[in-house]
Formats: sequence, structure tokens, C-alpha cells
Amino acid sequence: MTRLFRLSILVAWMALFLSACGPTATPTPTTIPTADLNGIKDYLLGQTSALVAAATQLQAATNRYYQLAETTAFDYTALWQSRQNDVIDAITAAREAWITASPTYEKMEGIVAGTPALAQFDIDLDAGAAGDEDPENAVSFDLVLADGRTLPKPGNLFGVTESALWGTEPAFAAPVEADWNGNGTLEFGETLPDAHVLKASADLLTQMAGKLDEAARAWTPTETDAFTALVVMVPTMSEYFASWRDSRFVSGESSTQRDFNVISRLADIQDILGGLEIVYAQVRPRVETIDTAQADQIATGLRNLKAFVADIYAQERNGRRFTPEEADTLGAEAQNRATAITGQISQMAGALGVPLAE
Amino acid sequence: MLRNRFLQRSFLWLLIAVMGMSLRPSNAQAQAQAPSQLAEYIRATLVQIQLHAVDRTTAQNQLADVQRAYQGLAATLARYAPAADAAIQSGFDDAEQALAASDLPRFAAARTQIWTALLNGSYMVVTGALQAGDALTAQQWLPVREFRHANRFDRPNADATKAVRAAVIGDAAPEVALAAVQADLLDTYQARLHEALNVLAIADQQGFAVRRAEIAALAAGYFTILAPAYAEQRGAAATTATQAIFAELRLAALRGAPIQSLLAQAHAALSGFRAAPLSPAEQVRRSGQMLRFLQLVPIEYERGVRNGQVTVDLEIREAITFHAGALAAFTDLRDLLDQRDPTLTATIANHFTKLGAALTNASNRIAVTDPAAIHALTETLLADLRRLLPPEWQKQDSGADFDVIRSALDQMEQAVRAGEYALAESARLEAYAIMEIGPEAKLIAFAPQYKPIIEGYFWYGQNDHKGLAYLIERRAPPAEIAATRAALDQALAEAEQALAGSNAPLAITTNAAVIVFREGLEAVLILASLMGSLKTATQRRFRRPLWIGAGLALLATVVTWLLAQGALMAMARFGEKLEAIVSLIAIAVLLLITNWFFHDVYWKDWMASFHQRKKQILGGQAGQWLGLITLGFASIYREGFETVLFLQALTLEGSVTIVLLGVGIGLALTLLIGLAVFAMQAKLPHKKMLIVTGILIGAVLLQMVGHTVNVLQVIGWLPIHPIRWLEFPYWAGFWLGLYATWEGIGLQAAAAIFVIGSYYLAEYMQQRDWQRYARAS
Repeated sequence: MTRLFRLSILVAWMALFLSACGPTATPTPTTIPTADLNGIKDYLLGQTSALVAAATQLQAATNRYYQLAETTAFDYTALWQSRQNDVIDAITAAREAWITASPTYEKMEGIVAGTPALAQFDIDLDAGAAGDEDPENAVSFDLVLADGRTLPKPGNLFGVTESALWGTEPAFAAPVEADWNGNGTLEFGETLPDAHVLKASADLLTQMAGKLDEAARAWTPTETDAFTALVVMVPTMSEYFASWRDSRFVSGESSTQRDFNVISRLADIQDILGGLEIVYAQVRPRVETIDTAQADQIATGLRNLKAFVADIYAQERNGRRFTPEEADTLGAEAQNRATAITGQISQMAGALGVPLAE
Repeated sequence: MLRNRFLQRSFLWLLIAVMGMSLRPSNAQAQAQAPSQLAEYIRATLVQIQLHAVDRTTAQNQLADVQRAYQGLAATLARYAPAADAAIQSGFDDAEQALAASDLPRFAAARTQIWTALLNGSYMVVTGALQAGDALTAQQWLPVREFRHANRFDRPNADATKAVRAAVIGDAAPEVALAAVQADLLDTYQARLHEALNVLAIADQQGFAVRRAEIAALAAGYFTILAPAYAEQRGAAATTATQAIFAELRLAALRGAPIQSLLAQAHAALSGFRAAPLSPAEQVRRSGQMLRFLQLVPIEYERGVRNGQVTVDLEIREAITFHAGALAAFTDLRDLLDQRDPTLTATIANHFTKLGAALTNASNRIAVTDPAAIHALTETLLADLRRLLPPEWQKQDSGADFDVIRSALDQMEQAVRAGEYALAESARLEAYAIMEIGPEAKLIAFAPQYKPIIEGYFWYGQNDHKGLAYLIERRAPPAEIAATRAALDQALAEAEQALAGSNAPLAITTNAAVIVFREGLEAVLILASLMGSLKTATQRRFRRPLWIGAGLALLATVVTWLLAQGALMAMARFGEKLEAIVSLIAIAVLLLITNWFFHDVYWKDWMASFHQRKKQILGGQAGQWLGLITLGFASIYREGFETVLFLQALTLEGSVTIVLLGVGIGLALTLLIGLAVFAMQAKLPHKKMLIVTGILIGAVLLQMVGHTVNVLQVIGWLPIHPIRWLEFPYWAGFWLGLYATWEGIGLQAAAAIFVIGSYYLAEYMQQRDWQRYARAS
């Protein structure tokens, strides 16, 4: 019995030793504290509502143009000859609506493109490439036209509508020479869109704007969303400057770029940065809890970057035509600033333990 | 008078307030003192001067302002980095002369020199301060730095920042922070140097004179920061020669002379150089990532291709992502591998390229390679890598496993965003399988508290964030899945930290011992107590089926071990489900046996009326034998499958011998327990023995029920209704099967009622029979 007792004691000790290998306390699942991010959502919803309104106007104007084309059974020569003023009015109204809609979207692009749950809208609305140009980054939709044609992955909807309205993509233009001012020369924008392409793309744009609005209403921003939007979108400056350099605003008539020829990319950058400033303002109090100087420097960096771009834009508006080398230098500087800001934001996200989405 | 007093007081208060405000440093002053803000002011103003250099007077005034601002940094730089301070001063002189001469390229080169010297100086301050144990100064100066250019997929990490912050509050030693700073900054500046050389070539082609001068000076400045690391690895002579190349490059770019040859020389001098060499731990981690990612490539590819057609795009993209992950790890290790065997390294690089091309072609529908060919190519790559990689790199690394898990979870989220929930589930299972065959075995021993949390997030967890399996099944919106993912990431990060350093041989042995002891304890308790209680000659024959069942289970375990060697990943996906099924069988059999035990062994023996019932018992003997064989089998194999997976995972990390040593210790301990129980049963008086056996089996049954209910809830076969007001410590679940859910506690209570009810029913029947027997006699 004594031997049995000793054996039992020994086994009990062994068991105790092994069970002690692991901690005994139960950790509670870590919950990530969040800042009050309602301001981001409010801002986003303001923009999505405005976009829905502008897109609806665009749709109405393109419908007018489509109905005009229908009257001549889509014979654009006959249309131009018989309804010239009506056609110009409809296209001008559509262009005005587009010029309102596009910057409205840019103001929220930083949030939409930088938030994984909404990012697909950015690809389809504003950033996605055409399938034949860049299949990896192409849009997700095919454009089905009323005449039975289908344009497979034609590129983002703002790009398609822009190039149809201003004629920068011959495939989206009607086969007619439309000398709007009758001066004998076809100038930039003197074109008639292919009514089928314009209607289908404007309809889809309006539909997608509505869906974006719905998705934004359902979305609850998290700190991860906010920090991710900042680190994803702030460093894209070089892409925007590259498209600015290649657009008509820098390259003039030699530009072969289809998009971003109507509104300078510099204006878009400011709109995007404006949206990102709103996002940063919401998370700034959290950054301040660990590093006030850094919190301030990020805010200053964003403000200065926007001012830097605004200064270039003001010069451009005042008639200065930048050379490609100057555009390159300015783009490099903007990128350097953006990289520094992104780095600082990443450091703060890391120090706060806020994971960044992939 | 009153009015005067009021005015006097008001004036006094105003004066105090003004004095108070003037004594309190204003925000602007405080900010101006931050080195990073001063540095950014200097950098940005120099750029502005370059952009608006036409207005010479303004430019000169601004330059003077910048020089004054530099005085705020000069003292610290002169102390820690006198060479950098001198380079900055000379840069200012050069800038002044360039402005005076309206020489824009020269000004651009001078401003870049000032900036890179500032970066170099800051690096010296941070590292010098950390070496001196002054983490606070290091923290102040660390933000004077550059980062790798970020893109949508690659963001700067925060390792250095976090390490320095930890050093400031005493959570990390300054040496640890120093290593993190060196790794981060040297890596960043090397990346920026390579980038600068590439941009320089483009600027040269485009004939951009100012950009050329600026970038050449930038490259030279970056190399100055890297020079000490270069000297350490390549020697002083090589460093001097390379510095000379960069100096010439700078000069040639400034003068507008041809630079192609110098660019080629600079690239050649940098070839194979890695400023921040990977630490041994990082080498193992990269190696682990490479092998794991590569193993996943053919699995994903095969799922995406049917009959020579790509059927699931996302699977191909996953294969591409895993290939890219493996290739990135290979690139990081390439210099080191080159030193081991340059020919084999080149062959492997070619195979990587070939594999990558095949995947891209499939993705772009150019050509769809047969999955068998992709499998063969990957196997060749893996075989070559196993020949090339040092053995110590081939040990499994849980850090690499966590990286691969995160990557698989990224794929899951991507699939969810694309609305491909079936693929998301596949990616989730992939990630879970890696967890199961990798870090989970270590978690059991070293951080078991994270096991249920991580499992909950992966499966059907009901905490603040519902489990991923649950969410995917219900096609939850991406944001909801992302929230659980974030919580899972957090738990994984904490678990990873808890497991750091747990791959020492002793740790692995302990790990294996704990697993075997923990998993074997129930089986041994059941078998030993039953066998110990079967004492009489008549009863001893019932020991045989138990032994047969146990033997079959051991055989099945060996077969599982052999199978698992080839298909660890595939089997790991089903571990939990198999455990649930076998556990259910074990419980069912144990309930039957308990019932039988109370009725036929306890009371029949007491009644001594065994012979009267002989016929009946013989009639049911086949069933009892089968029941006992099943019990012997299920008790051992119940967790045998998962144990095998865990032990296999450990052999990848340590050697088989080390693991077997642990298995031996674990088995010895369980056998000791078994022997102790058996011996105790044998020594105890019959009545006590019966009571002890009953209690032991009852306790094990309750544990098994609790644990099985938990497994069923983890895989979603049972709902979860947590008991909010009840909280058990982790060990209560781990050792006793107690989990605070209504299902768990309820079914344990039902099992207890069954066992106790069975006992009283048997007692009642015995008394009834006894009374009948007494009346009859």
C-alpha cells in the first residue's frame, strides 16, 4: 500500500508538472478599441448622395441624346444635319453633368478605393482598366448595348463616358465629322458620341452610383478601414502625376491618353486628398494618444501636400504649361511627401496595434 | 474705488494669464523643436527653392532661413555624426554658390546632398543613442527617415518604431531596438538606392539634366549611409572603390557626361550586397515561407484547372500569390544560397521563372499547363531546394507558418470581396490546415490558452466576432468577415509572440510529452480502471477484447502516421471532423459499457447468481466483446489522429529522435498513471474498487462528453449558447472538458444523470431480484 501511495504521489507530481507547462488563465479575446469614425461615414454619404444626383442628371441628358439619335434610326450624319442644335444642347448638358459627377466621386475616392469593402466600386467607376489593355486590373463588367453589341470590360465608367462625350476614344464616337463651331477645323471635343455606348455607360454609372450609396450606408467604418484607406491612397501620388503628365494638360495635342483630359488630374488629387484629410481628422485623436508631434506632422504633411498640388494647379490655371521634366520633378516631390506621410501613418498604426487590411 | 479695484484685479489676472501663456511653450515652438519637423521643413523648402529658383533674392533668403533652421539639429548631429554635419555644411555652401550662378543642376545635387546627409546623420544619432542606452533620443530622431515607396500591396512595416517605443518604456533592451532599427533603415535605404539608380537611367534617357544631377547625388548619398555595412561585408578597399564610382557618377551626371558605364559599375558593385543581412532566425523564417508557399502552388492550381481549361480564376490567382510569396523569400535568400551552390541556385531561379510563366499564362488564358506538370515542376523545385538549403533552415518555423496563414487568409478575404464564398471557404480551410499542422502543436504545450480562441475565430466562435466558417456559410458581408479576420490576426500575433523561441530541442521534447500525456490520459484511465476491476477469473476474459481494441488502435495510429507523412496538409483539413466522429462512437460505447458494467459486473457478482444467468450472458457475449473492442479502439484512436498530426508537425521542427523522446516520456507518464490505477484497483477491497472504478469512468465520461461537445461546436455541428454569467479558467476546459455553454454543461449533466441513474436502476433491480430470491427461498 505504501508503494502504491508513493507511486500515486509521483504520478500526481508528474501530472502537475506537465499541466503547469501552459498558463492557466483564460485570455479574453482581444477587442480592438475604435475611435468615433462617424464623420467619415457622414462625409462619404454626403458625396454618394451628390454622386447619385449628378449621375441621374447625366443619365437624363444622355437619354435625351439617345432619343434624338433614335429619331434618325442612329444615322448620325442625318442627325447632325437635322438636329444640330438639339444634339449640341443634349451633349453639353451631359458634359456639364459629368463635370459635376466626376469631382464628386474624386472627393470620396480616397475612402472608396482604400476601403476593401468598397474598393470594387472604385475599380468599376474610376480606376479599372480595359480588359484588352490590362487584364489584371480590369473592370468587372461587360457593357451590353441596346443594339445587341457587348463591349467586354471596356474600362471604368467615368473613363468610358468621358471618352464617349469628348471623343478621345474613336471606338465610342459616332462616324460623323461634327464641326461644332463651323470654323472648318475639328477641335478637341467636337464630336458626337455613339449613342448606344453613351447610354449604356451612363445607365450603368447611375446604377452603380446607387449601389455605392447603398453599400456606403451599410458600411460601418473601423479604424482598420480608416488607416488602410490612408496608407493605400496617399502613396498613389505618382500614378496621378503620371496620368497628369501624359494628359493633354501637359503633353498637349501629342497626348494619346483616353481619360483625364477634361478635368486636370491636379484637381482630382486635391479632391482625393481633401477626402483623406477628413479620414485622418477622425483617427488623429487616436494617434495623439501616443505621439502628439507625429499626429501633428501627419496633418501638416497632408495639408502641405494638398497645398503643394494646389499651387501647381493654380499655376496651370493661370496658363503655365509645365514641361515633362518639370512634371516629373513635381511628381517625384509629391511622391516623396506622400511616401513620408504614408510611412508615418503606418508607424502610428503599428504602434497603436491597428492592423492594416491587405 | 470699487471700480479701480476691479480694474486692478482684472489687470492683474490678465497679466498672470499672459505670463502664464508666454511661459507655456506654444504648439508651434514645441513642434519646431521636433527633429523630424525641422528636417522636413529643410527638405521641403529646398525643393521649393529649386522649383522657384528664378527669383534669386527670395531663393537666397529662403536658403538662409533653412540654414538657420538647421542650427536646431546641428549640435546633436555634430556630436553623433560629425561627418554628416560636415556634408550638410558643405552642401549649404554648394547650394549658395549654385544659386549665385543660377546653376539649377548643381543646386539640385546640393540639396539632395543636404537631405541624404541629414538622413545619414539621423541614422547615426538613433543607432548611437541606442548603443548609449538613450532610447528617448533615439525615439525623437527616428522619424527623420525615409520609407520604402509604398504601393497598394506593400506598406512600410513599423518594426523599428515599435522596437524603439518598447525600449523607451523598458519593454525591450536597447540592443533589440538597435537591431530592428538597423534592419529597417538599412533595408529601406538600399531599396531607395536601387530605385534611384533605375530612375537615374530613365532621366538620363529622357535628357532631363536637373533630374539627372539630383538623382545621381541622391544615389551617392544613399550609398554613404550604407557604406559602413558594405565595408563590413566587402572590406575597406571595395568600399573605397564603390564610393569612387558613386562620386564619379554624381560628377558625370552634373556635367552632362555619359553615365551608362558608371551606372553599370554601380549595379555591379552592389550585386549580391544586402545591407541589412537577414538574421539566422529570419533566414529560417524565409526558408519556411518559401517551402510552405511552394507546396501550396500545385494544390491551388489543380483546383482552378479542369480538362485543360481554367475553371476558377481565383484559384489561379491564389497559386500566383503563393508563387510570388515563395519567389520573394527565395530572392531574399539568393545571395546566401549563391555562396553555397551558384549552379543549383541558378537552376532553382530558372524553375521559379518557368513556374511563374506557366501560372501567368494560365491566368491570361495564353496556355494552360497540365496540373500534373505544375505538380512535377514544384516537386523538382522542392527537391532542389532541400538539397540546397542548409538543414537548419529546413526545420519548420512557426513564424513562417503564421506568415503563410495570413497570406491564405488574405486570399479568403479577397474571395469574399469577389463574392466567391466557396473559394473563401477553401482558403479558410487552407489556412486552418496550416495552423493545425504547424503552430497548433506548439500552442498545446506553450500557449494553450490561445487554442480555443483561434479555433473559435476560424470556425464557429460566438464571441464579439463570429467564426469565419459561420460567416462564410451565411455569406456575411466582407466588412463583417474583415472584423473577425482582424480579431483573428490579433490572436495569431499574440500566439506567435508566445511561441517565440519554443523550437529548442528541450521545448520540442516537452511539447511532444505534453501532447501524448494529455491525449493519452483519458484512454489510460478508462482502460486501466476497467481492466483493474475485472479481477475474477470469469471477468478477466473481458480484458482480452480491450487489449485487442487497444492494439488495433495503435496499429491504426501507426498507419495514420505513415499516411500523414505524404498528405499532412490534406488530412489536416479533416482533423476536427474525424475527432468528432470517433469521439461520438467512444462516448456511445462508453455509455453502453457503463450500463453493462453496473448491471452485469457489480451486482451479478454480488448476487452470486451468475450461473443462473449464464445463458443470457453467453447470448450477449458477442455484443459485449464487440463493445469492449470498440471501446479499446475508440478510447485510444479518438485523439490518435490529431496527435499524429501534431507529432508529425513537431518532427518537421525538431528531429524524429527528439520528438520520439518526448513521446516516450509522455507514454511513460500515462503508463505510470495506468499502472497506478491498475495497482490501486487490484489492492482495493472489492467494494471500494467498484466505487473507484465507477467514479473514474464516470469522470472520464463527463470529460469526454464536454470535450466532444466543444469539438462539435467548433466545427459547427452543434449550436453554441454561451452561459454568460459562468466563466471557467482555461485549464478546466483543457483537462476537465468544462466549457461554459448550455450545450456542454447540459449534455455533461445528462451523461451524469445517465451514469448515476444507471447505478440506482441496477441497485433497484438487484434489490428487487434479491427480495424475489428471498421470498422464493
